[in-house]
Amino acid sequence: MKTQLDMDRIAKGLGVERGGKVTAGGGYFGAMQLLADIEARFRVPSGGGRPTDPGWTERRLLPLAPRTLKRLEEIAAKVREHGGANLEPMQLAALLLEKATEKLSEEDADELTRPKRRASH
Amino acid sequence: MAKTRERKPRGGQKVLSHGRQRVLVVLFVPRDERDGTTPIDQQRWVDSSLEMFGRVFGGATAYPKAKGIWRDDERGGALVKDEPMVVHCYTTPGDIQDDGNLSEVGSFCRKMGSEARQGEIGLVVGDEYFAIRNFGEG
Repeated sequence: MKTQLDMDRIAKGLGVERGGKVTAGGGYFGAMQLLADIEARFRVPSGGGRPTDPGWTERRLLPLAPRTLKRLEEIAAKVREHGGANLEPMQLAALLLEKATEKLSEEDADELTRPKRRASH
Repeated sequence: MAKTRERKPRGGQKVLSHGRQRVLVVLFVPRDERDGTTPIDQQRWVDSSLEMFGRVFGGATAYPKAKGIWRDDERGGALVKDEPMVVHCYTTPGDIQDDGNLSEVGSFCRKMGSEARQGEIGLVVGDEYFAIRNFGEG
């Protein structure tokens, strides 16, 4: 569940006026945020093995287009090159899916279930 | 209906003993003064910010130089090019909303803004950008 922060209180505590919301979807800042996320969340399991997010307890098969898998492999390789965690392509997929799901609001979800209007003849 | 399988940690132990820290705080440490040409002691400010975040929130990570630009509206909209270093800190909703912690972060930003002669210090908390400009109150 996404945590609600009292931004007015934070602004007052910092002694500043509120600016505006930012998004970190892509580009350098987005990539840095992704790296920071991996670094902060991935842990080596107590029984050993590859570092992962301990909160990821569910496993499912996920169908992918070859081009999507290729892209995930490329990005994961870049993260490893830049000293990030030993990230696997499907771990990256899980992280991106989690972020996209968290950003989806209740209204967005309702919109998905709303019946489409048929074109009149 | 698909079966729900829950993966249990080995040895029956809890993998995490603490709540997950999920609020990201990002501080931009500039390379130059407001004029865009006079360098500041960037490494000193990065080290100081890491110490501050470590003391207040328990840790932080500084990333290598980024490329940035900032429009200085008080100088006729002059574009100031910069190579800031980006400091990331993960914390908890409780800690980021603590008045004492906020006061310390705010004071640090104003001190850096004043001593490094900045027009603005950028701080991101969660998904909101805070532009810190009133350095006189540090």
